[in-house]
Amino acid sequence: MSAVIDENLGSLADVTDGAISIKDVVKIYDPDGAAVMAVDHCSIEIPAGEICMIVGPSGCGKTTLLNAIAGFHGITSGSIHLDGELLCGPEKPQAEPGSDRIVVFQNGALFPWKTNLDNVAFGPMMAGKLSKEEIYDKARSMMADAGLSGNENNYPGEISSGLRRRVEIVRALMNDPKVLLFDEPYRALDSLTKSVMHEALLEIYYRNKVTIFFITHDLEEAIFLGHRLIIMSSRPCKPKKIVEVDIPHPRDYSVLTSPRFRELMNEAKDVVHEEATKAFEAGEKEG
Amino acid sequence: MSVSNFSDKLFSKAAMRGIFAIVVFVLIWEVGARSEQWFGYRFPFIGLVPPPTDVFVSWGGLIADPSYWQSWYMSFLRVFGGFAAAMVIGIPMGLLMAVNKASYGIIFPSFEVLRPIPPLAWVPASIIFWPTQELSIAFVTFLGAFYTIVINVLGGAKSINKQFLQAAQSMGASQWDIFRRIVLPATLPSIVVGSAVGMGITWEVVVAAEMISGGGSSGGGAGGGLGFFIWSSYVGGSYEQIIVGMISIGIAGYISSELLRQLGGLLTPWLKTR
Amino acid sequence: MPDPANNSEILSALKSAMPFQMVPGNLMQEIAAICTQESYEAGEKIYDLGAVADDVFIVAYGSVRHTLSADTDASKHEKTMRSGDVFGWAAVLEGQSVRMAATASIERTLVLRINGKKLIKLFESDPAVGDVVMTRFATLINKEFYVPRSIADQVPGFKQALNASNLQGSEVTTMALTVYRISTWLKSPRPYLMLIGFALFLSFWMLSVEIWKLPRFVDMPGPTEVFTEWFSEDPYYGLSIYTPEYYKHIGISLQRIAFAFFLATGLGVPLGLFLGWSKKFREYIFPLFEVFRPIPVLAWVPLAIIMFSGSETPVIFLTFLASFFATTLNTMLGVESIDESYSRAARCLGASRWQTFVHVVIPGAMPYIFTGLQISIGVAWFSLVAGEMVSGQYGLGYVINTAYMMIEYPKIIIGMITLGVVGYITSAMVRMMGDYLMQWRVRELALGDN
Repeated sequence: MSAVIDENLGSLADVTDGAISIKDVVKIYDPDGAAVMAVDHCSIEIPAGEICMIVGPSGCGKTTLLNAIAGFHGITSGSIHLDGELLCGPEKPQAEPGSDRIVVFQNGALFPWKTNLDNVAFGPMMAGKLSKEEIYDKARSMMADAGLSGNENNYPGEISSGLRRRVEIVRALMNDPKVLLFDEPYRALDSLTKSVMHEALLEIYYRNKVTIFFITHDLEEAIFLGHRLIIMSSRPCKPKKIVEVDIPHPRDYSVLTSPRFRELMNEAKDVVHEEATKAFEAGEKEG
Repeated sequence: MSVSNFSDKLFSKAAMRGIFAIVVFVLIWEVGARSEQWFGYRFPFIGLVPPPTDVFVSWGGLIADPSYWQSWYMSFLRVFGGFAAAMVIGIPMGLLMAVNKASYGIIFPSFEVLRPIPPLAWVPASIIFWPTQELSIAFVTFLGAFYTIVINVLGGAKSINKQFLQAAQSMGASQWDIFRRIVLPATLPSIVVGSAVGMGITWEVVVAAEMISGGGSSGGGAGGGLGFFIWSSYVGGSYEQIIVGMISIGIAGYISSELLRQLGGLLTPWLKTR
Repeated sequence: MPDPANNSEILSALKSAMPFQMVPGNLMQEIAAICTQESYEAGEKIYDLGAVADDVFIVAYGSVRHTLSADTDASKHEKTMRSGDVFGWAAVLEGQSVRMAATASIERTLVLRINGKKLIKLFESDPAVGDVVMTRFATLINKEFYVPRSIADQVPGFKQALNASNLQGSEVTTMALTVYRISTWLKSPRPYLMLIGFALFLSFWMLSVEIWKLPRFVDMPGPTEVFTEWFSEDPYYGLSIYTPEYYKHIGISLQRIAFAFFLATGLGVPLGLFLGWSKKFREYIFPLFEVFRPIPVLAWVPLAIIMFSGSETPVIFLTFLASFFATTLNTMLGVESIDESYSRAARCLGASRWQTFVHVVIPGAMPYIFTGLQISIGVAWFSLVAGEMVSGQYGLGYVINTAYMMIEYPKIIIGMITLGVVGYITSAMVRMMGDYLMQWRVRELALGDN
């Protein structure tokens, strides 16, 4: 954790890889003949290295978008490009999952049957490009950098959930991904642990700048971490409002009490609340 | 489920694949069983089994035979008798052990010592002890389902969410109320699961007990039952009837489990989420 | 001795501190005995930089500001300690006698103080636990205080003591835990209730058969008769622990079980894995499987005798069949139970379909596979006994059945008890095998217990 903190940390000028371009994406689920539109003509441009926070009520279809980028399922129409290369589009409805886009899952997906070190080494081991020693050396040093030394030979079930999330991020970074896709990873954590996790995530980000596509319904989290908030409308999912977070990076927790933070919160809150109400009422009707 | 939905399911790809596999299996069985007759060379193992067509012909003859249905009746009677006894004794015993620490401490270890003894090992001892063959079969049947039911009831009652109990207490429920309105319904799903497993074991035991005591080397005695039907078909050399007996037991076992499942569904309506 | 109320407070504060969470109860009591409680007013200094490092502190209540000295090379110097946090660890470092930080309470604060030297002395008496606690200390120092590894490495280890006893760290911890569990078990009423249970059972058997000679019971063999026969050097009916015959029966039953069980595992586990893994394969094969499943294994007895000549193969076939169904079904369920995000994560990380199968599907299904194997070994004995009773020569089922026909009743009971014991041992072996292969699960559950 001895990264040199300089003024440049927030700048994206030196990041070249990881620009995501989502154009007119539509996703219709058709389970029993009743078509449900989850994503409706959604277009988002994310520049390389940006922390882009996708905010919306639970079940609004944010995860559908994430899964489409990751390649877990296809899209109905539209296209998604990563650095100008087509991930999925009209002639190729489903992207191929790959280690350039790694998902950090909602409930965590560290393999409980592998030690933390084996988990971190998993991606490169599968790729098989480096020798086992090289991979494990790199894994150890990356864990040490993230303050995880001493946990190498423990199983994920033996460490706290906060540490588990950190291991998962390190596991993703081992593969030098262009994009990290976060699917509400801190949802189940209490707010105190969460705040620690946020600072740790930013520290990791300052050292390895990758594009971050981060889904959340927690506004405080969104404003604290993000360069930009994209507030989604609920069912079908579609960008409704974009909030630029002009608080300079690097940030720490003092940001939370700054007047600008409050202003941004207020600006975003009304929109989010309106969507949450809509989503809730829709849920009521269906239930 | 609507009619169109049902027919969709019946003709779905998955169902067609399953039916295809079963048809292929029956064909292989037929060819294998007739291999000596058709090719002059008997396939190993399967060549000794009567072919399915013969089995169905023989089954057709048996349907009109009242003694065949008598076997069904006898087995069902034994299964349900033993099973009911296991429920009547096993459920209160499991609940008692779950609620009362002292009785758990006293009963459970002895229970665990007896449990690894397979129920069928009790057959001779049971015949010696009980005055009639019928009672001894009933006892072994009871034993088969008993262990499973007790273990499931105990596990279910012990894993009740403590907050339910606290909530009931804070609303002023008495001990008896808590038992009747919280412990009992909360244990019901485990009782249902335990009974389903117990029912499977009961059929196993009844069939075996009928074979061993009714038709086995000890000979004679109270006959009847599908297990005895199989055994006497074997002794009498009508091999097709063995397979008719096996299929009949399969159907009977399936019917009993299905009945139990339906009943379980009625008793635990809150488990249906859709 | 501290008064009990105080003692329970100390214990709960100790348990909330990360390094001490794995300490078994008896040692925890000893640690609690060397703890003292102390309270500080808001803003009061607890210790200063360069002071003598004697005690380790645990915050029981309140909060403390902890400021590390500039020459520790830590990446962060300020830290707020809250309840459950541990500080003052310079007291357990080797070659460190002075404080490396200054601390002062922020609000009214209650802390536990433990003398570092005494603590280390205590751990020397139980190096296994000591090593765990100290490893945790090192982790804590490095991680929570952002202090370089070199400082954390000054935490003493007890590895030498461990090596001397020629055992590996994790094994010793398990042993220490076992000893701890046995000792708490002996302190609880359970073993005594258990003895009462056994005594009741045996005395009922004895009274009803041998003393009161109740009507139906009088034909049954009584416990005295059974046990004298069982342990007699010259058994009346020819079967006791001194006769080679007895072991031959056990051996043959075991041999049949082993053969059928391994065959069923070898075929059932791969089949179950593929059934769970490939939807297409499942759609073809599973319905066929479901057609066979309701037929009780024992209904196969006559057909097995017809299909397989001799008396040995039918018995093994029956035993195999029972095991096979249980193993296959549970393995399939195991694969289906794996959370989808694991295989998604594997694919994200670049694993091929086959790599996902090896690294995710197989280990992920392991808990269910072993549940299946537990059931499998149980039903194997179940059908073996039936098979041996109907056909076959030798084996424990055969002993029981022939003893019945020859009216050698004590032998029936000897056969039954032996079956129970041997059956229990085999299923315990399967369980141990599972624990050995699933260390991750054992360790997770061990943490959950505490």
